[in-house]
Amino acid sequence: MASGGRETALTPAETGHVPVVIAGGGPVGLTAAALLAHHGVSCLVLEADASWCDGSRAICLSRRSQEILGWVGADRSLTAKGLSWVGGRSYFRDTEVLHFEMPSEPAERFAPMVNIQQYYVEQYAHAAAVRAGGVDMRWSTKLRAVRAQASGVHVEFRTADGGSHCVHTDWLIACDGGRSTVREQLGLQLEGTQYEGRYVIVDIEQNTRREVERLAWFDPPSNPGSTILMHRQPDNVWRIDYQVADHEDPMEAVKPENVLPRVQAHLDMIGERAPWRPLWISIYNAKCLTLPSYRYGRVLFAGDAAHLVPIFGVRGLNSGLDDAGNLAWKLALVLKGHAGDTLLDSYSSERVLAARENIAHGAKSTEFMAPPHHGFALMREAALRLALVAPGVRSLINPRQTSPVEYVNSVLNQKDHGTAFAAGARPGMPAPEARLHTPQGLRHLTALFGTHFVALYFSRNPHLPRYLEQAGAASRSDPAALRVVRVAEQGAADARTVVDELGQAWQRYDAVEGTIYLIRPDGYVMGRWRESAAPVDIDGLLKEALKEPHEQRRD
Amino acid sequence: MNNAEIELIYTALAECIARVGKAKTSLLLATLALDLLSQQPDADAALERILQAERLANI
Repeated sequence: MASGGRETALTPAETGHVPVVIAGGGPVGLTAAALLAHHGVSCLVLEADASWCDGSRAICLSRRSQEILGWVGADRSLTAKGLSWVGGRSYFRDTEVLHFEMPSEPAERFAPMVNIQQYYVEQYAHAAAVRAGGVDMRWSTKLRAVRAQASGVHVEFRTADGGSHCVHTDWLIACDGGRSTVREQLGLQLEGTQYEGRYVIVDIEQNTRREVERLAWFDPPSNPGSTILMHRQPDNVWRIDYQVADHEDPMEAVKPENVLPRVQAHLDMIGERAPWRPLWISIYNAKCLTLPSYRYGRVLFAGDAAHLVPIFGVRGLNSGLDDAGNLAWKLALVLKGHAGDTLLDSYSSERVLAARENIAHGAKSTEFMAPPHHGFALMREAALRLALVAPGVRSLINPRQTSPVEYVNSVLNQKDHGTAFAAGARPGMPAPEARLHTPQGLRHLTALFGTHFVALYFSRNPHLPRYLEQAGAASRSDPAALRVVRVAEQGAADARTVVDELGQAWQRYDAVEGTIYLIRPDGYVMGRWRESAAPVDIDGLLKEALKEPHEQRRD
Repeated sequence: MNNAEIELIYTALAECIARVGKAKTSLLLATLALDLLSQQPDADAALERILQAERLANI
């Protein structure tokens, strides 16, 4: 593992006031820092460890996560280093009972999933933060105390040299993980359930030529009664997860003398005969826990500090990155005076809803992968056997991989107007992908997102209506700026026109002549108008929805 | 049935088994099986189901 570099300790002169402090320099904290920097907000990041994490930890990054990292240019290193995949296979004993594939199409921008060690994600997010500028990264720095006040948050921390420092910040973002110090300092508790079933997680180094896919074995001959998962990672690393029996002592279960023979037996069974060595061993039990809110005054929670979800379906880090992606533009708008701080309540409500949905899916996966009682254990035995002869039940074995959550009933969602859409993405759903001609050649529509609001205007007429010409002309800076892009069916692309020759955008957005979609900086649909007979006052509705401070005063 | 419905009945039956307890699980499942088998179109179809379940149980 490479070193993260160490900055010198703070001098007293450096302490004072910063707009944002991020507690925790893990993948979520570093991504939040990079996104804030991208939006022109500087922040101080406090990380207890000396560098990027040890062990590969979270290894599956969803398409949505790749998109979010793409907003800060961290996607190229990620996809170059990572191993992308689209599906997987599950076996009962040694017979295949499920082959699943996630939605995927030729020439897509990102694969549905990419496997990569967490420390690389941290490294790339950190590099993006450094590139964007304005991020003060402090390694080996322990958060000591947090005092929340109406006007900001008082944060005390200790640097590697033992020096104590304090800083006053307008906003504190807690990205300090499952055992969050900020959460403890505020006296907050995660709510929910924990499952008993335990999995040992082991990474090994071994050369392989096997296809990159998710592999699962139920009751394999190599380890009767157990469940085993395998994923390939870059650098010739295998991730192997296996279920330990209920009566096994967790402390004993992670000892190499207990782990290595099981791994050897399984590698023998699947015919992976190259020499190997263990790199990292850990143990895990499924948790379905969340804070009831992710905003407490001027303290905001994201990632594992806010919620813990089961690993099955890979919703942990992926939902943490979505937290960062949802929060960064909103906080930047608030800090730049383009939105009232109530906008941050929508961060909380949208992401708590997402956590609850992730928990519901994660709980379902856990009931299959680590049955919590004999009812589920018996039903799994039955389902695996029946899957051999009855394709209709095979979906029960599907790992239900993460997908972006719809922000149902978000206060930011604008009501559909005019003639009804029969399809497309509702307000609160991620904006669909499409390949389009641009002046730079064939590009993906989602590459337009991540920096500011985008209005997509579907029209064959090369001249924008006057009101749309004027929309976005208001003197707003990123991320409050509005970019109007015409989606033409044919013709030539230019700076304000993309051409949908393949017909993907018009079809996926269920567009007719004059259809408008308003897309948030995080790539979610905020509003849509199928046939806009009357001009749509986008600037006005943005002002209203964001509750710009002067609007609030008038109220 | 669609996937969501399959999942719903899977969970419902798992929870039901847990509620009646291990001692009565066989009775529960035998009652359920007899009920469902009696709704098969004819005895041959029902017997085929019984033999399939026996084969799968002995794997």
